[in-house]
Amino acid sequence: LSSVPLQMLFYVNGIYYIFYFLATLAMIVYKSQVFSYPDDFLAPDLALLFIMAILEVLRLHLAFCFLRGSKGNLTEEEAPLGLSLVITVGSVLLSVYFLVWQTYVLQADVIINAVLLFTYGLESVLKVIAIAAFV
Amino acid sequence: EIRAATRALTRSGPAPVTDVAKLCVCDLLVAQCDVNCCCDPDCNAADFSLFTTCSVPIVTGDSRLCSQKAAIYSLDVEANPPERIFKLIDQVNPSVFCIHATNYKQALSFSSPEMPTSENFDQLFKRFSSATFSAEPDSWNMNTDAQNPSDANGTYRYEYGVPIQTVDAFLRLPSPVVSSWCSDANPAGFLVNQATKCTRSVSVEKCGNIQAVSMLFYINSSILAVPKSSQMVNITVQSIVVQSLNGMRTLLNGSDVLRLPMILDELCINIVLGVSYHITYTDAGEIIEAAASFVLGAINKEALSIQQSFEISFTQVNTKPVPLSGNPGYVVGLPVRAGFRPQGYPFPIEILFAALVLNTNKYSQLTILQSTNQDCLAAQGARTPILFGYNMISGCKLRITAAMKCKPLTQTLLNLLKGQSFPEYVASFGNSQTHNVLDWVPITHLHTSEQRIYNTFQSPCQIPVSLEIEVKWTKYGSLVNPQARIVNVTALITTTTLKQLPSGRERTIPITSSVVFTDISSPAEPGYKAWPTINAKLPFDFFFPFV
Repeated sequence: LSSVPLQMLFYVNGIYYIFYFLATLAMIVYKSQVFSYPDDFLAPDLALLFIMAILEVLRLHLAFCFLRGSKGNLTEEEAPLGLSLVITVGSVLLSVYFLVWQTYVLQADVIINAVLLFTYGLESVLKVIAIAAFV
Repeated sequence: EIRAATRALTRSGPAPVTDVAKLCVCDLLVAQCDVNCCCDPDCNAADFSLFTTCSVPIVTGDSRLCSQKAAIYSLDVEANPPERIFKLIDQVNPSVFCIHATNYKQALSFSSPEMPTSENFDQLFKRFSSATFSAEPDSWNMNTDAQNPSDANGTYRYEYGVPIQTVDAFLRLPSPVVSSWCSDANPAGFLVNQATKCTRSVSVEKCGNIQAVSMLFYINSSILAVPKSSQMVNITVQSIVVQSLNGMRTLLNGSDVLRLPMILDELCINIVLGVSYHITYTDAGEIIEAAASFVLGAINKEALSIQQSFEISFTQVNTKPVPLSGNPGYVVGLPVRAGFRPQGYPFPIEILFAALVLNTNKYSQLTILQSTNQDCLAAQGARTPILFGYNMISGCKLRITAAMKCKPLTQTLLNLLKGQSFPEYVASFGNSQTHNVLDWVPITHLHTSEQRIYNTFQSPCQIPVSLEIEVKWTKYGSLVNPQARIVNVTALITTTTLKQLPSGRERTIPITSSVVFTDISSPAEPGYKAWPTINAKLPFDFFFPFV
């Protein structure tokens, strides 16, 4: 069972995440110049953004592992997919942080985080369906 | 309970008002309607009908928020009578970078400062305060270690500005601080010549009790020869001048006796009105001698305060300082330095080895007659030194009787005009040394007569009536810092004929002496560098094959 929509979604997710990361970083820099952004509020925000990036890379790598396997064929193993789903939970939490608990939440932040959450939601649903196909 | 409540109240300021409907910046008068202030709650409809415009049309929060409340005030002038319209709306910021929410409480408002209480006062003071003065002289003692660096084996010495230490504290020179009342906490600094005047409150009843008006207070403690040593220098009494109630001063002969304040005939006598310290030091920074001269006075029952003056001066041992009048150019207001060439050195060769005898006695300087008395013969020789840059004129009236003879009168008048010892040379710079004879300008004496003498055979008596000293000076040195240099000094004596008077008659003639300083400096010519030239030359063998 090759899940083409899931594969496409992973690619879209990867590209969108790059855009999301750059946009959020640029907006944090903008906020630090325009508003009063003391260091002990700036540091956690930046740290969480980088942690989110690392988690995302890990997650997408695991997801592509599921799709390609070590031999380059499309193998179907549930372990990497399951791990990827678990990591997705972490990413969702971080995205919610950037949506609600950030120091300054701009309208643009709300928009890109909402899109990211929607993407994660869709991905999770498809992953669950894929895993369920094995079990 | 009440104390706890007040403590809570003082800890934080009043709560800030953030409701836009209740904020009104133009509401300045309490319980009264402000003109053209549409948001003022004290105004009623009748007041609004008299307004022309709204001075505050809109009250909003931070405009960077995505959605915020705004109160809009406007006047509807069409209606009769005009009425105020108040609208409370939600203002929306269309930008995509508007602040949707913020989790940082102080982001969009000014932080209220911490209220000082007895707990956090010291910490706030350390954070926000700058340098402060301490009124207690005891705190000085802690800094002496930093101020006096010692050598490896522990020898100390005084340096410029270091307070002079005595056995108990510091040598005090009372001076006015902030107001004109004396403060006894001013230490005398080493090599810092000071002169201060301050007021002290006294009364005849407390005559013996006020320490600061007694001589003992000023010579009691001995000065330490070097800081932190056990070698002490006692303060000796050099001279005592007693000033009477009407201001007349008398120098006392024996200055060994210590005179303490005491009550005599309803007056309190022996009150210290002035102290003058003279400290002698060596070039190793050690004090070897200290002397004090006192001026003692008396006060009566009505006196509530006296003015005390204090002075301290330092002299290096084995030197006799000659005050300079400028370094190198003369300073306006300082006396013109003059001197004599000692007898026996007439030859030019020996001029190089001759020394000019400089007199520090101010009456042997270049001086001019001081007009103290209208009658010349009663003038008693009062003279005032000539100060550089100050043109002076003085004079007196001479009453000539028939009995006066020519020659003695001429001599008397010359003495009067020129003084006992009129100098021969004047220093060209304020700091001219006596061994540089070329730095000194000779005084040229000129002589003129008021009336022309026609018949020399019958030469009538000529008496000097005026002395005019003209000092020509120039600006010397750089354009930005010119120094005054005396170039030429002429003393012009004008004589007049003394006609024989019939006996019994008297004649009064004015005698004048004046000093004029003339600036003969040529206008400055700035020196310019030569125009830059293009130094372009072809190399020697540029046209090699052809030339």
